Amino acid sequence: MEQNRFAAAFKQNAIWLVFIIEIAIFAYFNPKFLSLPNIINISRQVSYYGIASIGMTFVILIAGIDLSIASIVVLVNVVCAYLMMNMGWNMWLAILVSIAMATLIGVLNGFMVSTIGIPAIIATFASQTIFRGLAYILSGGLPIPDVLRYAPEVGLNGDPALGFFARWTLNHWSIFPRMGVGLIPVCAIIMVICFAVGSFILNKSYFGRYFYAIGGNEEASELSGIRVSKMKYLIYALSGFFAGLAGIIVLSRTGSAQASSLVGFEFEVITCVVLGGVSVAGGIGHMSGVIAGVLIIGSLKSGMVMMNVSEYTQMVVQGLVLAIAVGFDCFSKKRQAS
Amino acid sequence: MYEVSADLTEYFREIDPKKRLVILDSLPESGGVDFVREVYNDRYSDHEGKGRRNIDWWLWRCICLQLLYGRGGFFRHFRDKEVTTIINELRMNDTDESHRAILYHEYRNTARRYLSTCRSGDYASSFMGFRKASDEEKIMKACADIWQMSGGIAKRSGNDTAMKLWVDAFREEIVNYDDICRDEYERLRKEDS
Repeated sequence: MEQNRFAAAFKQNAIWLVFIIEIAIFAYFNPKFLSLPNIINISRQVSYYGIASIGMTFVILIAGIDLSIASIVVLVNVVCAYLMMNMGWNMWLAILVSIAMATLIGVLNGFMVSTIGIPAIIATFASQTIFRGLAYILSGGLPIPDVLRYAPEVGLNGDPALGFFARWTLNHWSIFPRMGVGLIPVCAIIMVICFAVGSFILNKSYFGRYFYAIGGNEEASELSGIRVSKMKYLIYALSGFFAGLAGIIVLSRTGSAQASSLVGFEFEVITCVVLGGVSVAGGIGHMSGVIAGVLIIGSLKSGMVMMNVSEYTQMVVQGLVLAIAVGFDCFSKKRQAS
Repeated sequence: MYEVSADLTEYFREIDPKKRLVILDSLPESGGVDFVREVYNDRYSDHEGKGRRNIDWWLWRCICLQLLYGRGGFFRHFRDKEVTTIINELRMNDTDESHRAILYHEYRNTARRYLSTCRSGDYASSFMGFRKASDEEKIMKACADIWQMSGGIAKRSGNDTAMKLWVDAFREEIVNYDDICRDEYERLRKEDS
């Protein structure tokens, strides 16, 4: 019994071992990999993957998929920049409206999947195309550049909030200067808060339990009284919300909005989630595993860049990681069944 | 194992709550029917007050037990606490023999209702529902589910004695579900011990 428990605990946390081995390999080949600037850089890089992966975790837990998140991120980028730069909106209002729009797109996905009954992969693929197209239309196919640089003038004529935003988004805001914690990127702090909220939803709220129940046996959940249809709306809305938040982080990092950016982002997020042990069959997974998955992918990308691996090879490696993660999940399911 | 009158047999065989109520209303108010009615009201009422409709509270607690089976580590304390709550809610520790007979059949009915969902198209499917499970895969998963929500969680939370009636009822239901279930249930039991 104790041995089985140990084996189960090891299996559940093996992903962290993979992460440590990966770090050790990259550090061996390039000692600068573990330098403070690189760690900060990785934490910035993984922040938007991490935030988007929380919503994706909820969706995959109910045996669904959301292929529209990359388009939502891009559309939020473009809309937020457009509202600030072209229409002179207050920054906070623009952010709120953009995130609300992202959440509404999630609700639309929920409507297509739950009410109309379109398979999630098709419904969200349609959304992906629609909203990427809308981002192109709104931006005219051109980037909206220098959002951070010109926002104060164009936006609200020197509104101090915008100055704060610009500073905030430079990701070098030291939150605990006197305590010597140093340069902690704000986007990383937001990611940690989001993970805490996601973890709370999954482990401590009834909603989290509904998510697992629906993923495990949808029909039994319905019979027990859960309004599965409403839950699907909520889950896709949450996925949209987190994608919207990730979009704001991306805008704050790059300082420009471009409709053609982040192609394939959804697959990278799916890789993080599945690598973290969330089963594509639904009903199984933990937020701690997803955090490990996000860190592995972030470190992998950074490590490959530091080892001068070409961008094309990076794509091959990431595709292989996704195939291995999903393949391993399917294989273990098959072995369990036989 | 636990005998009930012929009138009640039909009631316990039916899994649709509305049809069960019709049968229950047609029964004469004697021979423990008042307790059967009490159990019925308890099972199909909203204990959370969250406005859920057509609730089957006991079925929901089955699902909860299965989810709790997968919990351990930091959450072990919370898991054990909730299992104790469920034991009390579902009256697993009722010592009255006539009540135990009725509870046994109600538990079997709950297990049967769960199993009625295990032959549906989407059950045990993988890869976001694109790969449908074979009949054998569905049966194997049903066995695993039943084990986890009965014997498995009882063992893990150290409530073998308190949950005996529940475990027996679920075991009886699954071994009668399909020919291969008896061996599979035994395999799961040995693997977990």
